[in-house]
Amino acid sequence: MAESIQQACIQVFCSPTVWMVIVLSAVYGVFVGAIPGLTATMAVALFVPLAYWLEPIPALAAVVTMEACAIFAGDIPNTLLRIPGTPASAAYADDAYAFTRRGEPNRPLGVCLVFSVVGGLFGAAVLMIVGRQLASVATWFSVAEYFWLYLLGLSCAVVVSRGSTLHATLGLLLGLLFSTVGLSAVHAQARFTFGRPELFQGINFIPAMIGLFGVSEVLRNMLSLDQAPAGASAASPKGPAGGRLGLGRFIADSLVGVAGPALALLMRRKRHFLRSGAIGSLVGMLPGAGADIGAWVSLAASKRFSAKAETHEGGALEGIGDASASNSAALAATWIPALVFGIPGDSITAIVIGVLLMKNVRPGPEIFEKQPVLVYSIYLVFVLANLVLIPIGLAAIKLGGYVVRAPRRVLLPAILLFCVVGAYAINASYFDVWVMLGMGVLGFLLERWQIPLGPVVLGIILGGPLEERFIQTLTGSKGSLTAFVDRPISAVLAVVCIGLWVSALLWGRLRRAK
Amino acid sequence: MPSPSHTRRAHRTGSALFTTRMLAAALSATALFACVVAGCGREAPFPSRPVVLICPWSAGGGTDRVARHLAARLEGELGVPVNVVNATGGAGVTGHTRGMLARPNGYTLCLATAELNMLHWRGLTNITYRDFQPLMLVNRDDAALFVRADGPWASLAELEAAVRGAPGTLRASGTAHGGIWHVSLVGWLATAGLDAADMIWISINGAAPSLQELMAGGVDVVCCSLPEAQSLLDAGRIRCLGLMAAERLASYPAVPTLKEQGEDWAMGTWRGLMLPKGVSPARLNRLAEAVASVATSDEYLGFMARSGFNPAAEPADRFEASLAALDVRFGEILKSEAFQEGQAQRFGPMFFPWVLGALLAVNLIVLIAARTLRRGADAERVTRQGLARIALVCGAVVAYIALAEWLGFLLTAGVLLFVLLWRFGVRWYTAAAVSVVLVVCVYQVFAVYLRVPLPAGWWGG
Repeated sequence: MAESIQQACIQVFCSPTVWMVIVLSAVYGVFVGAIPGLTATMAVALFVPLAYWLEPIPALAAVVTMEACAIFAGDIPNTLLRIPGTPASAAYADDAYAFTRRGEPNRPLGVCLVFSVVGGLFGAAVLMIVGRQLASVATWFSVAEYFWLYLLGLSCAVVVSRGSTLHATLGLLLGLLFSTVGLSAVHAQARFTFGRPELFQGINFIPAMIGLFGVSEVLRNMLSLDQAPAGASAASPKGPAGGRLGLGRFIADSLVGVAGPALALLMRRKRHFLRSGAIGSLVGMLPGAGADIGAWVSLAASKRFSAKAETHEGGALEGIGDASASNSAALAATWIPALVFGIPGDSITAIVIGVLLMKNVRPGPEIFEKQPVLVYSIYLVFVLANLVLIPIGLAAIKLGGYVVRAPRRVLLPAILLFCVVGAYAINASYFDVWVMLGMGVLGFLLERWQIPLGPVVLGIILGGPLEERFIQTLTGSKGSLTAFVDRPISAVLAVVCIGLWVSALLWGRLRRAK
Repeated sequence: MPSPSHTRRAHRTGSALFTTRMLAAALSATALFACVVAGCGREAPFPSRPVVLICPWSAGGGTDRVARHLAARLEGELGVPVNVVNATGGAGVTGHTRGMLARPNGYTLCLATAELNMLHWRGLTNITYRDFQPLMLVNRDDAALFVRADGPWASLAELEAAVRGAPGTLRASGTAHGGIWHVSLVGWLATAGLDAADMIWISINGAAPSLQELMAGGVDVVCCSLPEAQSLLDAGRIRCLGLMAAERLASYPAVPTLKEQGEDWAMGTWRGLMLPKGVSPARLNRLAEAVASVATSDEYLGFMARSGFNPAAEPADRFEASLAALDVRFGEILKSEAFQEGQAQRFGPMFFPWVLGALLAVNLIVLIAARTLRRGADAERVTRQGLARIALVCGAVVAYIALAEWLGFLLTAGVLLFVLLWRFGVRWYTAAAVSVVLVVCVYQVFAVYLRVPLPAGWWGG
């Protein structure tokens, strides 16, 4: 084993190809992740033809780095423009954007970066130390457990939303109803399609997310375009405006202004960080659950157990940190079932399995005996990718700061252009642009009526899988409802879920009574 | 209506005005030049611009892997970029429909899959293989039956006896209802003299989650292709009871066929390249040559073998003949009484939406009764001007949707962006410069570097 680790170190650290691949993929990953509508999955899929000409270790290094960097980069438009790059960042879109409106986008961005990096390292450590042993956890989860897990994720989205539980529930139900448009996955029958073939594909969550958050924000700004932007120099970030682009200055600014406070926050919240990392890893290793649910559950845990009031800005930063850490930790965990059973944890690991097979490496338990060097190299690459993310992420934050300094009357049409292109890019379909526009108007109206948008997005994403697991469980048990609670894990999850709802409804009542 | 702050800035940067205006003019000229050059490309030999390969399934799946490999190889043969577009959703309806409706100019290919022969029998679409011009079959994978290694059945005969002994209790999966593996299983049951309803089919999307459910004990049997189950099979967690093929596979010599075990039933999925009907013979030949040389190359065969796919190259005429034969067969199964009965489900497609609708109604009533559904205190005031601007933004998006396909991305987006900027009070030369720079940059990044297709417009041929 020691010998394999040594060899892996040599293959990873002493190879100029690996270093070059990692740095290039990091830049590419941050770039793609920061553009709304382009996802980490797309970044990796576009890279696959290139992987053919690379050795296995550089090829996997590229995938790991892109994935880690793209997930963080999703936080940049999320914070600056309120367009979530990934569904996981939608969890804290409003919290983070509130800082930008006050002119301090670097605070949440610094927290996202530091917590993403450390969360990624935590996930890598879990993969290294207990990945093999934990792999069989995935085999305990049948459709009934997944049903509760999805419901738990959705419930958390309601719990973490600002305002009343009932308003958030309304948003959630709307999202779930949207998810039923199109061909029902479980019955393979068309619903709410009105005979139009475009509606068969249903409502894709990416254009919906861009519309609900991005376009609705553009529309809202249309009402106040003439007024002086709130908070004076609106979005201009704190710090030396128009400062010189010196390297020394950049490093000093970044370390002191961006990373420093975030690190201090991390030091204060070690226990909370461990909780978020553990939630992310546990949820991430379950195929089909992934980083999104991890982020929402962590955020809910953070807000529930936080001593500070939820409107307090420090509390908001803590929540952002916990959710970021959790979604980054989930990434490494998705590799556990992929490496051990060849069952992909998410769409990226599905591509990874393809790359592995292309390189004549077959995932399975014996991969640890037959290809130990490769496995240790993957671990090392996870560590390296997260470390490379630090300078590149800081540079991206710096560059992003310039974007929001543009005057609003120029910035808003440009955002709209990116929304349209991003919505079209995912499927090259005009129907998706319609969805984006419709969701934009809806989001604008919902926000005026104080209905939070996060639960709508999560409802659209998880509605399909939730319904599938629901019907599958009922079909398997021939209609008996006991199938939902007759296995130990499903019973525990059911109790947690119901407890969450009861406490959320009571909590609201208590608060109003005060 | 320039705002005071804007005017002030304009005065302050008076010296920069001239350069901004020059920059705008120079950029407009460049953009025009680029348009002219692109327009001139129309008479160039085929293919002269990027080819799109539609994959009806999502990124990361088996079909996507094959599509991306083919695209990379075809690029070498054709000398132009070949971009994969994942047109997903609707159980394959979306992608196949787009492949069929594409302009028949040879620039859009579709990697069709076995579902093409099944969707129309299930009434989900009117599209059949007859709406396509087949190019070449590139892959064929046979169905196989899997059970847990620690389960009670060691052979096909034992499993069959178990189904016969307790009809309607064993649960199987592998794909969604009416999918290729479902049909394969029903075909086996029929061959064995059993009824489609004798096994409960749990509709799980995809082989990987079905196999996971098999391990978790939620289903008893999984029907899918061998490569999909390879890792678990090699790990000794599951057992393969039989392959639904005419003969054993060279890569899995130990797995017996159903036929060897006395049941003459073969079924499987396929993938093949197709074009919309109406492509000119010259272009068709050029593409057929390129595809044939890719599909028989050592690199392709090596990729398929390593990825666990079964390569199969059939030229257009043979491909079409086997499509016709398969279509009849699927019709027999999918329209059979046994299958229709098995498909009748207790919890129909409207069950879940009804539950949601009921909850939504209750929620709304509570909210309205409590008078909490009202405008937020911090919401902006709606002014006539604000509403006009909102309408303008929405109108711009609608105009983009309506025009982009004809005028192309550069022109449509550039003009609309200019109009928005100008209406928001940006000076016309600044608006022009920003529009040109942004649109050209976005085009360069998306269409050229990231290979994300943007509407090409009329000069794209």
